[in-house]
Amino acid sequence: MKRTPVLLVVTVLLFASSLGSANPSGVGQGTFDAQCGGACHGDADMNRSSASTVVVEAPTTAYEGLPTSVSVTISDIETTVSGLLGVFLLSDMTGAGDTPADAGWDILSNSEGGDENYVEITVAPGETERTVTWTLRAPSTGDHPLHAAIHHGTESGEEAPFFGASVQPAVVEVVAVPENLPRLSPSFSPPVSRDVGEASTLRLDTVSVQSVEVEWRLVGGPINTVMVSSAGADAWTFDLPSSLQPATLEWRAHLGGEGPQQTTPWFTLQSEEPSWEVDETVAYVQSITLLFVFMVAFMSLHRKTATPDDEKYDAFEEVEY
Amino acid sequence: MVSAPTLHVVSTELTVGSFAMAGVAFVLAGLASHGWFNLKRHLKLADHVAHFALAFGLLAMPFAMVTGIQSSPGDGVDHPLLINKMFLGSAAIGLALGVLLTRRRLGEHVWSDDWGRRWQSLGGLSAVGLVLLTASIGGTFSRGESLLDLFKLPYDTVPLMPVWLSGIVLLVAIGNLLAMRRGRAV
Repeated sequence: MKRTPVLLVVTVLLFASSLGSANPSGVGQGTFDAQCGGACHGDADMNRSSASTVVVEAPTTAYEGLPTSVSVTISDIETTVSGLLGVFLLSDMTGAGDTPADAGWDILSNSEGGDENYVEITVAPGETERTVTWTLRAPSTGDHPLHAAIHHGTESGEEAPFFGASVQPAVVEVVAVPENLPRLSPSFSPPVSRDVGEASTLRLDTVSVQSVEVEWRLVGGPINTVMVSSAGADAWTFDLPSSLQPATLEWRAHLGGEGPQQTTPWFTLQSEEPSWEVDETVAYVQSITLLFVFMVAFMSLHRKTATPDDEKYDAFEEVEY
Repeated sequence: MVSAPTLHVVSTELTVGSFAMAGVAFVLAGLASHGWFNLKRHLKLADHVAHFALAFGLLAMPFAMVTGIQSSPGDGVDHPLLINKMFLGSAAIGLALGVLLTRRRLGEHVWSDDWGRRWQSLGGLSAVGLVLLTASIGGTFSRGESLLDLFKLPYDTVPLMPVWLSGIVLLVAIGNLLAMRRGRAV
């Protein structure tokens, strides 16, 4: 009868669907489309509407190729016991090809220490509102909408995954850069992370800038000013202090020149413990090797010692019950 | 829907509980097979309990591994503890499979030979020890502490072989396995 193998296959498939439907522990930061399979909830049909409110805020005007800041505020937060909440910044809500990069935006940093459109934040118990900020380089001129979306589970863990999105997009009108506007060079890309204990010397490439003043702060802390040195024409260097433990430092520059003074958005620099990486293929091959080596080595030990030929032998027959 | 961390706790308890029972039964079987402490009359019982508990632990282990991967943060194995957990788990599965296959191949003869009975009970106990060590790493990873921390084991050190060396060792092991099968057939 082939009934047993069929039942086994069906059982395995049923288990696979339930295990693969969501990643309650998240997938980490990344560049993901809304509701795509790579984010925490694989199947949009399984999602329910989130009761949280998502609002995306951005300046109404931005200069082409220059950084601007966009924030997403989530209120009435509900999530799992672990407090994990996934937040997307999106260029539309079609569910495919809708990352900011698909619309020409270039994410320079986000407030969670990365440069991706999807971040996972941990919400503390009792916390009902959180704001995540992205700093992006504006695309070509025109009107560009930005949406936000969230993914989360529930505290009881009994219901389907939840999806929420901003009701109104933030529409940013990107205009051409005036000729003499003091600004960052289009090639400037700020660092987003560094190791704990590592001091950072940053080089700032600018255009039409005659003076630079840089400020930094720890999240929620006072604003400090650092010395800026000229490093040639339209190039400047400054030092940001090292941190003794994982922390988020934000910095911005005031750019002075012939045109109106400009202030960059806050750039985020995350200090992290040195990361640990391994070639996963090597590790998996070694695991399989260990499995076979231990199994075969043990069986080889017995090969020399036992003689199963005598079928009449009964190791238990001497036992008296 | 029950979350992966909850399922992981359930499947881990099944696995560790089964292996712990197998460990006790292997100790008893080892003692009984030597006729120590007047335990010889319990050999059959200890033998059956040890191997069935080991087999059940092996069946529960894949569920523990799958739910563990589902409930771990991030993507992939990106921590020394997880790599060492994977290595120890693989070694435990290999050793447990070796113990069970040997029992199946030799039957009760496994307890009739002096060295055979020693290897069988020590092999079963070692498999149990490796699983308990694996579970201990899980505790260290998720809660930052474990009962076995008092031994100050170097969990943060990953003994990683080059892939070519792993490949050669794997081929040697498979060759040995085939040679054993051929030897039996002859």
